[in-house]
Amino acid sequence: MNELLSNLKQLLEMTAAWWSNLSLLFNSPSTIGFDDIYTLLVRWVFPLLAVGILVRCIPPLLRNRGCERIWGYLEVPGSIKIPIRHWEVSLGRSKLSDIVINLPFISRNHAVLAYSRDSWTITDLGSKGGVSINGQNIEGKGEVHAGDTISLGGAEFRLLAVEEGNDDLDATRRRTWLSEWGEGIAPGKTFLLLLLFQVLGAFQLYFTMPEETKRTILLTVAVFIAAECFYYVIAFLCSRKHLELELLAFFLCGLNLFVVAADVPNQLLKQLIAIIIGMVVFCILQFILRDMERARKLKYILAAGALVLLAANLVFGEVRFGGRNWINLGFITFQPMEFVKVAFVLAGTATLDRMLTTRNITAFIAFAGTCIGALIIMRDLGTAVVFFGAFLVIAFMRSGDLRTIAYALAAAVLGALAAITFMPYVASRFEAWGNVWQYANTIGYQQTRTMIAAASGGLLGVGGGNGFLVNVPAADTDLVFGLLCEEWGLIVALTAVLTVVFMSLFAVFLVRGCNSAFYAIAASGTATIYLIQTALNVFGSVDLLPLTGITLPFVSNGGSSMIASWALLAFIKAADSRSRPDVNESGRLF
Amino acid sequence: MKLLTRRALAILVLALAVICGILFFTVRYLGEASKWVQHAANQHLYKNGKLKASGTIYDRNGEILMETVDGIVRYHENPAVRAALMHAVGDADGHVVTGARVAWGKRLAGWNLLQGAYRFNRGLSHPGSDIKMTLDAELCAIAYNSLQGRKGAVGVYNYKTGEILCMVSTPTFDPQYPPDIDKDPERYEGVYINRFLSAAYTPGSVFKLVTAAAAIDNLENIDSTVFQCNSKTVIDGEYVTCPTAHGRVDFKEALAKSCNVAFAQIALAVGADTLQAYADKAGFNSSLEVNGIKTKAGQVNLKNAQRPDLAWAGIGQYTNTANPLNLMVFMGTIANDGVRVEPKLIKDSWLLRLLQTVVPRERVLSPETAIRLGSMMRNNVLSSYGEGNYRGLELCAKSGTAEVGGDRMPHAWFAGYMQREDCPLAFVVVVENGGGGSKVAGPIARKVLQAAVSRYAGE
Repeated sequence: MNELLSNLKQLLEMTAAWWSNLSLLFNSPSTIGFDDIYTLLVRWVFPLLAVGILVRCIPPLLRNRGCERIWGYLEVPGSIKIPIRHWEVSLGRSKLSDIVINLPFISRNHAVLAYSRDSWTITDLGSKGGVSINGQNIEGKGEVHAGDTISLGGAEFRLLAVEEGNDDLDATRRRTWLSEWGEGIAPGKTFLLLLLFQVLGAFQLYFTMPEETKRTILLTVAVFIAAECFYYVIAFLCSRKHLELELLAFFLCGLNLFVVAADVPNQLLKQLIAIIIGMVVFCILQFILRDMERARKLKYILAAGALVLLAANLVFGEVRFGGRNWINLGFITFQPMEFVKVAFVLAGTATLDRMLTTRNITAFIAFAGTCIGALIIMRDLGTAVVFFGAFLVIAFMRSGDLRTIAYALAAAVLGALAAITFMPYVASRFEAWGNVWQYANTIGYQQTRTMIAAASGGLLGVGGGNGFLVNVPAADTDLVFGLLCEEWGLIVALTAVLTVVFMSLFAVFLVRGCNSAFYAIAASGTATIYLIQTALNVFGSVDLLPLTGITLPFVSNGGSSMIASWALLAFIKAADSRSRPDVNESGRLF
Repeated sequence: MKLLTRRALAILVLALAVICGILFFTVRYLGEASKWVQHAANQHLYKNGKLKASGTIYDRNGEILMETVDGIVRYHENPAVRAALMHAVGDADGHVVTGARVAWGKRLAGWNLLQGAYRFNRGLSHPGSDIKMTLDAELCAIAYNSLQGRKGAVGVYNYKTGEILCMVSTPTFDPQYPPDIDKDPERYEGVYINRFLSAAYTPGSVFKLVTAAAAIDNLENIDSTVFQCNSKTVIDGEYVTCPTAHGRVDFKEALAKSCNVAFAQIALAVGADTLQAYADKAGFNSSLEVNGIKTKAGQVNLKNAQRPDLAWAGIGQYTNTANPLNLMVFMGTIANDGVRVEPKLIKDSWLLRLLQTVVPRERVLSPETAIRLGSMMRNNVLSSYGEGNYRGLELCAKSGTAEVGGDRMPHAWFAGYMQREDCPLAFVVVVENGGGGSKVAGPIARKVLQAAVSRYAGE
């Protein structure tokens, strides 16, 4: 604490000294170049812009909780009309049913009413009283039309369609405490701040990097900005949804380019292509996911594709950086497990009726087991942890069964202990953990360099391209947090990490307003993967966890990782069913 | 979706764990970044394990105490100044942990929390990494010369502003040409310890000021009490003695003559709890922090003291120890009408000076008590130490001759302050095994203070 106070005291003192020394600038202009003055000034701007971008994106995304459209009504004859706010609603006596019917002859989870492609189906969840449509008992599933009478164990309801123009947006919008604050924040201005950040950053690197890479850097960032603008304008005009989520992803991708430019400028083009492919995949996935039938088909196609990739990896895999997790096609190398991640999340999801009828998730467990087993064979234990964490969360979302989860966790801990005991490579990581300064030049080399570099950056950073961490292996991937701290400062680095954390929190926030359980589970799976990767990457590099070689979503260098991050983001985006407030008001771009 | 909303809370738990981790890292970063950055692998600051460049250390008048030119460290040009300030500036190997080179190493290296290791114009200048100390190089050299090779410490500070002008500890050496310490272990005993900051000696009679403060506040009839000194008194079968029989003395005379018999009785009258409380107030049992450098705490522990122990403690023996800096600050507190001013070694920037006008200062003694003590200390000089020896200083002081047992000579102490508005300095001198307090330590104080007056009076 004393150290902290004296640091703060010193900070004040130094700031005063700093500004008085600015006079140097005017006394010896011959030795000071424009680039020096540029860095001196923009260092103060980056943290402000970064924090500003994140802060401006939060309130609009959290301003209401969704459920703004009504898809139909259940009418209790001669009494009230109950609005149906999701594509899938559960009916039952349980408090956690979407429509609670508190009658003694209704089962706790009685039925699920689902809407898809303009038709309704009702699914009996094995209720005691049974379900009938217009007096006819159904087994399992049955189609319902507007005007039909549904009887749940004798309690009768009428399904009513929504009249055109009656799906009043504002009347049903549930507002949160952030609503008013979020109203004044236009996404266009945030986007301009983002562009300013990226232009200033590109020039910072332009000034510090060697001659032969200067132009590549400017060009790459220029193309990236063009792609951003293209996406933003198209999305603004064609989509009714919030755009802040993409802005945050753009922010992180911009940092990714800065990191790559400082460390391995010859990979800039590859990374730029990966970002653009990622954005395209993001758009395609969004389009597919919009329709439940398509989404369900995609799930099986991707799962099959994932198994093929897994097999290919096990057979043709190449060893790099200690793990056999690369495939080389001659003209391109990639990490298949990054793409399997996407399929994995999708494989775990299910619509509400399936989720509540088939409690058995054996198929998913088998799929997860295959993936994790394969990862252990490939000696990619970090990714195995990511998959396992995602598995636990998805399995819990599906079944709600804590006991099974506890068993799985216990088994995993035993497995991990076995791994530490029998695999020397894992054991050395654990040996270094918490004692890296003792092994500063051997097994703690990367972590100590990360901390030294991070500390050297201070709050403002030494300026992009001025760091020394780039000389340490994996600075652009596993140690990327340290590189950000060093060159762009602690504030920017923390903002980047908090951005990923916020994306995950946003996914959780969206669950309540999701139209389908399918989206909710996929978004939750994504959130889990983002969080675990962030934790393993950031905490691994600064010795709060063992170092595992996991990428930080969107920020670490790596084509496969970048595309997978964007693909996963599509699941969060799909869970957001709300429309932008400005769609109904003024349609201004900025 | 209610069911899933409930189940999704599991992810919130995970997110919360990640956020806690980030907070934990941030706190650790704020606390430890200054240590991480000083690792020799830091290519911003070091090259082949040596500092690339470092800030310059100046004294209060702008004299260069240490600078790095082309990776080579250069100290002050005067050998006496170099030796006098070896502990303040620090040696090449970083053995003197309280020296500027270690204590403020991160700042000298050009690092701070906000700016990191960033250097404007690639290290041609090091904004903010220079340090201007409050010390006066010449004054320190005078103190060093006055010690004449004896072991000890000399300190002088301004009791209004807290700026330490003189801080010398001996034995010392010339840091530009370090000697082989191991060849003469006797001469260089504890050479890397700054005795002014990091040593604690038996205080002897200077501690009587603490006892006197307790007496003024707690014994109503202290002024009318007359003590009879027959050179010794018996307390529970143990003797407390004076070198000579002082005869009938009142409170003021008892302090001026440093009468042990009288102060033993005063300590007993005050009681252990009160004396302990006043010792704590005077700064014993706690260490001070001078620009982040922690001092060694003096000790006064009367918890299990029997009556004879209490009597001995009241005259600065028993298990009492005093840190020179801490004692000097207590002198300053008396001089400043009972308000303690935090000592410092770095000249404050205008910003900090502005901030400090807002920070309330700690009152240790009531103004009446402080003024009363001060007048008694003035009387000490007039009636015992000889005003003629300290002409023009308006000195208020107390000497101490601290018995250290065995056949070793006692430590010589001399501490006090000048009552001059135009030169508000408090001081402490201690000479290890030097002999009689005022006789040995007094002349050192005189030389240093007279130099200080000629340099700063009226400023």
